[in-house]
Amino acid sequence: MQKEDRDLIVFATIVCIVCSLVLSAAASLLRERQDENIEFDRRVNVLQAFGEAVKDEKGKKIVGMEDVNAMFAKHIEEVILDPESGDILAGLSSNDLTSQDKQNKSKLPLYLWKEGEQVTRYAFPISGKGLWGPIYGYLAFDQDLATVLGVTFYKHIETPGLGAECSSPWFQNNFKGLKLWADGALREFSVVKGLAEEGSTTDVDGISGATITGRGITSFVNEDLRLYNTYFNKVRGS
Amino acid sequence: MAKVKDIIVDPLSDNNPITIQVLGICSALAVTVKMETAAVMCVALTVVLVASNTAISALRKVIPSRIRMIVEMCVIASLVILTDQILKAYMFDVSQQLSVFVGLIITNCIVMGRAEAFALQNPPKESFLDGLGNALGYSVILILVASFREILASGTWYGFNVTPANYLGNGLATLAPGAFIIVGLIIWVQRTFTRKFEID
Amino acid sequence: MQELINLAVTSIFIENIVLAYFLGMCSFLALSKKVETASGLGLAVVFVLAITCPLNHLISKFLLAPGALTWTKVPALAAMDLSFLNFICFIAVIASMVQLVEMILDRYFPPLYNALGIFLPLITVNCSILGGSLFMVERKYDLAESVVYGASSGFGFFLAIVGLAAIRKKLRYSNIPDGLKGLGITFILTGLMAIGFLCFAGISLGG
Repeated sequence: MQKEDRDLIVFATIVCIVCSLVLSAAASLLRERQDENIEFDRRVNVLQAFGEAVKDEKGKKIVGMEDVNAMFAKHIEEVILDPESGDILAGLSSNDLTSQDKQNKSKLPLYLWKEGEQVTRYAFPISGKGLWGPIYGYLAFDQDLATVLGVTFYKHIETPGLGAECSSPWFQNNFKGLKLWADGALREFSVVKGLAEEGSTTDVDGISGATITGRGITSFVNEDLRLYNTYFNKVRGS
Repeated sequence: MAKVKDIIVDPLSDNNPITIQVLGICSALAVTVKMETAAVMCVALTVVLVASNTAISALRKVIPSRIRMIVEMCVIASLVILTDQILKAYMFDVSQQLSVFVGLIITNCIVMGRAEAFALQNPPKESFLDGLGNALGYSVILILVASFREILASGTWYGFNVTPANYLGNGLATLAPGAFIIVGLIIWVQRTFTRKFEID
Repeated sequence: MQELINLAVTSIFIENIVLAYFLGMCSFLALSKKVETASGLGLAVVFVLAITCPLNHLISKFLLAPGALTWTKVPALAAMDLSFLNFICFIAVIASMVQLVEMILDRYFPPLYNALGIFLPLITVNCSILGGSLFMVERKYDLAESVVYGASSGFGFFLAIVGLAAIRKKLRYSNIPDGLKGLGITFILTGLMAIGFLCFAGISLGG
């Protein structure tokens, strides 16, 4: 092999090794902090759906990690459900869910807010396709499993000023007080185009210029409600 | 010293990476809907551009010319991944807002373009300054476009309200066409003033 | 099947990678002066996107994503999350594909190879190619969807660049102010084209 070629291969190998080392070192050193951030973010979002004041109107977090963990320890129990049977799968938590489970929604996380031994609020993750990509959020029900306590859409890649308005307080506040269960059945939720009917308890105002985002939200909220309903029916029955 | 001044000042207007060199357009349009995202993008690009220019300049005498581009890509990609990882660890909320656009710094023509055009032929100190100058030129345009787009679209600047209460907002500025037209007009004004015309 | 057709229509018209997502602007602006060069670049982009998207999907799925290495049956590997290497691996695949295209063009279509010049290797840094792969990961497309998405995004790019080249050719007979000549008017034209393509957002896709 010519000297030129050999030098080339040696150089390329050195570059590869150096880059891999630097990146792997950075990734592993920072991994714990990143995971902590993701967990903290998730907990803040769950708390926000429950109606706790954890973010200001611009969406910035106003609580620290310790307070959040304290609230979680005091009030929140997390369970994993099987969507087919509506049973609680004992001994599992969201850390045990693989990304396959999350994507197929074959195991469903549910957060129970407890005052002492009594469950007074329920919150669960909702997600689905928006315009540019998946939208992730949480929806919280009151004790009657019919009235919506609140909703939060915390992660998406929608257009700022248009679809991204789904994260803004005005859009999310419209969800409070919706009644999505009545007369023994789930009611159909919808983000309408334009303004919803005055006093409607199943529809919310659309975001102007973001019809596709609205349609996406309508579709996945209804779908997720159906998924969790098997378990909810059991609770309602008892 | 005059040469140093030129390296930094030229890209601000006479040799602006976006309006004259026609590099880095994609992100100038994609992240300028709000000042906040544009600002973070400017900082991220500055860090990557300066670091990549300096690194490639330092290595310029040992890189075999046949694998030149791939090595540059490797260096740039690693720097971007590093920036992305650090953002995710220390500025989590901001990194969520930027999502794919941080990754797209890799393909930002400015970084590759300056590496090829300057860093490969000049010593590290000048390359560092060149990176800084181009990053500043890029930031100037980004902030200009973002200001127009955010003010026209939502009446705010960096989140602060700057228009009368009854300003409804021009949705077109948020969308793609608005961005194109605003940049086109900025280029018109800039070229008319600096008299750098394109002879077709 | 309907889903795939919808995806194709969406990627070509409604979410056109150049006119709606601003990806690929540099070569789009620089190479749209002549229709021949524009179509050459457009075709090259279709080819590269159609191949790199599914290829990157496979790499992500079987090598880099969290839990991707379970097929090796080595428990330590199965728990690894190498997704931080996404950018670098995708770019490597793209660079190789572009090198391949370059060699094919040089051998079989030399005039086109010469016309494209420096911009052929610059397809590697064309944001639309990397952006295509990144969106594919972000939206979690499967293999079939990756192929369709890659090919149709590329075709959308092709339509946009050839359209722009055709308009710019006619523009030679217009009286444009000096400051707007070249880049300025091209931007405004692209903006107008983007408005045109915005109308496609009203298409009602079945299914």
